Amino acid sequence: MPRIKEKWYPREQHKSFRPFFHTADLGLHIWGRDPAEIFAHAAQALVATLTDRRRLRRRESRNIIVEAPDQEALLVAWLNHLLYLYDLDGFLGREFHILELSPESLKALARGDIFDPERHIGKTAVKAATFHRLAIAPQADGWQATVILDL
Amino acid sequence: MTAKVKVRQIDAYRWEIPQEGRMRTRGVVYASQGLLPKIQEDQSLQQVANVATLPGIVGASLAMPDIHWGYGFPIGGVAAFDMDQGIVSPGGVGYDINCGVRLLRTNLERAQVAPQIEALVNTLFSNIPSGVGSRRKDLKLSQSTLKEVMRYGSAWAVKQGFGDAADLEHIEAQGTIPGADPELVSQFAMERGRDQLGTLGSGNHFVEVGYVFEIFDDKLAAALGLYEDQITVIIHTGSRGLGHQVCDDYIRVMLKAVSKYGIELPDRQLCCAPIASPEGQQYLAAMAAAANYAFANRQLITHWVRESFEQLFQMSPRQLGLDLIYDVAHNIAKIETHEVNGKKTRLCVHRKGATRAFPPEHPETPAAYQKIGQPVLIPGDMGRYSFVLVGTQKALTETFGSTCHGAGRELSRHQALKVAKGRSIVKELAAKGIFVRGAGKGTVDEEISEAYKDVAEVVEVAHGAGISKKVAKLRPLGVMKG
Repeated sequence: MPRIKEKWYPREQHKSFRPFFHTADLGLHIWGRDPAEIFAHAAQALVATLTDRRRLRRRESRNIIVEAPDQEALLVAWLNHLLYLYDLDGFLGREFHILELSPESLKALARGDIFDPERHIGKTAVKAATFHRLAIAPQADGWQATVILDL
Repeated sequence: MTAKVKVRQIDAYRWEIPQEGRMRTRGVVYASQGLLPKIQEDQSLQQVANVATLPGIVGASLAMPDIHWGYGFPIGGVAAFDMDQGIVSPGGVGYDINCGVRLLRTNLERAQVAPQIEALVNTLFSNIPSGVGSRRKDLKLSQSTLKEVMRYGSAWAVKQGFGDAADLEHIEAQGTIPGADPELVSQFAMERGRDQLGTLGSGNHFVEVGYVFEIFDDKLAAALGLYEDQITVIIHTGSRGLGHQVCDDYIRVMLKAVSKYGIELPDRQLCCAPIASPEGQQYLAAMAAAANYAFANRQLITHWVRESFEQLFQMSPRQLGLDLIYDVAHNIAKIETHEVNGKKTRLCVHRKGATRAFPPEHPETPAAYQKIGQPVLIPGDMGRYSFVLVGTQKALTETFGSTCHGAGRELSRHQALKVAKGRSIVKELAAKGIFVRGAGKGTVDEEISEAYKDVAEVVEVAHGAGISKKVAKLRPLGVMKG
């Protein structure tokens, strides 16, 4: 699995993610300069659906490894693993460092907080990331992904 | 995206999607002239056609009148598969395995409860954890207890003192789907479900205190113990994180199974395996385990609803008469016997956002309802009304004993929030005599009436088409939103 040197990116020119209309569910368009950034931005988009990210402190960390048969399935597996961590003890990541990434596996470090209804805002619950209309593809100026969340 | 799907009108309430291309059968959509244009706006009819391409499908790929665009299968989809040639698909059940609805009756009348509705909803809130990330601090299950829950469902809960044996007679499959195997449920799923049993969750899940506003059929209503102005309670929730994880785990298994068994799919979310294959059998056993967890969840919440009423009204359970009328699953795959070409055949019926609607005298219709048919509970949006219906013989012959499950969304949550912007939905509902309290920010706004089709239109189609029969209309008084 290729190691990823964490790059310093200048302040974002693109929006990193944008929700879109899907009747009962929520679709996300995600942009990134490379696949690693797609994975980090997708995680941020997921957390932003669940709560107001700005209130999450960086005081807990989780090492995460996920595997899947291909890159698209890996994106779903990654997001669903984050939902698993949240159900487990309320952990929500504020920042995500993608340490290693190949089409079939991902190693990451997430820093964040334990959800506390007293301090954090509960927005929309997410059941799962789905395979419906799932896509990751390179664009002229970076990468774009689409994923639909079941709410 | 794909071209517009062709539809041909069969009669006032049915539309056919002709068999074309890779479809193995036709699609049949239950809708009125009025509902159809909205349905045609999104990809849901394409999804009905996609389901028709799956191996071993028996009869048509069906859609109930509350059909809307889902992921993979449409919401409101019903599809039956042959036990030998057919497939089972986790996407055809959905992530919230055995999401369902139960209805309780009471001996109370509207005038007794309306003045105290705010206190009642607040009491429910303090007794039932809800909202994003809700968990029970007082009920963390050990691994072995959790396995018992998954094996026995509501029966486990009743054995622990949550409700009584009579409740079990009034639940689909008596609250226990046979063949559940907790050993096939992953550690991840069990960890997610450990402290979520007895929690409502979020999204469109709710507990609603309402009253009987209108009776359409006196005899049927009397048989269900319903009368005008009577207070009722609806509980809508499912299998929480445990069910979501079981679905996700088995979608991954099925993605591999699809290539192993050479199944071609128009959408990866439809991934599946032959029912007879090890993968298919394992999914069914794990799904049953998650379904039982959901039955236990609704049973526990029922117990705390009863306690809440007892606390607030200082009345005994006998005085309150909070009896279970029925509990139906609307996201599930069931092994059932149906008549196909005059022969009794075992099938795997997927109902994704669809309710079972078995007729009178069917062996699976509970003893108490043998004369009237299985009760069907169709919740509407929180600002309007819900319906109680019963199953019919026509449903059994036409839709594998299935009918609609709710209103069906018309606006996405995002659009709903835009429509609700600048308004106080809570105040608007209060002006209509409905007290609503939501656990999370935005959940009340996302669930505004305008976001849903009028459930009355949906129910009118189900009733008009004869796949269920209207009994009563309930109006909300107080709503606890997850």
